[in-house]
Amino acid sequence: MSRSSKKGPFFCEKLLKKVLKQKEASRIEPIKTWSRSSTILPEFVEHVFLVHNGKQFHKVTVREEMVGHKLGEFALTRTFRGHIKKEKGKR
Amino acid sequence: MARILGVDIPNNKHVVISLTYIYGIGNDSAQKILDKLGIDHRKKTKDLTEEQLSTLATEIENNYVVEGQLSRQIRGNIQRLKEIACYRGFRHRRGLPVRGQQTQSNARTRKGPRKTIAGKKRVGK
Repeated sequence: MSRSSKKGPFFCEKLLKKVLKQKEASRIEPIKTWSRSSTILPEFVEHVFLVHNGKQFHKVTVREEMVGHKLGEFALTRTFRGHIKKEKGKR
Repeated sequence: MARILGVDIPNNKHVVISLTYIYGIGNDSAQKILDKLGIDHRKKTKDLTEEQLSTLATEIENNYVVEGQLSRQIRGNIQRLKEIACYRGFRHRRGLPVRGQQTQSNARTRKGPRKTIAGKKRVGK
């Protein structure tokens, strides 16, 4: 079920603060964050985030089309290296 | 057979049903359209007057995204997901379920026919 629109989007307020601070100083530095559930706000466009995927920080440069998605959607948490191929002739 | 919006040729069924032959119009929107225009649902399509047919066509054309335009829209949405490299985009690319369904078993609609792997041990034998 989708979130009540009355509440507005969920986001980490610290993130917005940091972004606005950077905007004021008009410089873009990667912002490290664990807040994967934060919605990407229009203010975030063109800023760089390092989104934690449980192990590492994944670099995400926010583009305009990403607005409305969550930060976590861009930092995958699983690695899939393919299925093990069984060697032939080995018993 | 009547023609509404170019290619669609709903036949001699009730109008509600006929309208659902248009891609992008289901039972619900068909009912809504007819209610709005004050056409009896039970009427057969062949019994409609030319005038009614044309009002139907304009109504659908103006208020609904339908047929080719709709499929283009859907394709565009998926394309967007792929381009921004988000999780849902990856799932679309891989041809796996997008909305968090399990994939250990089932998910055959997305994954397609089973690919049996030779030499794989059967479980429970």
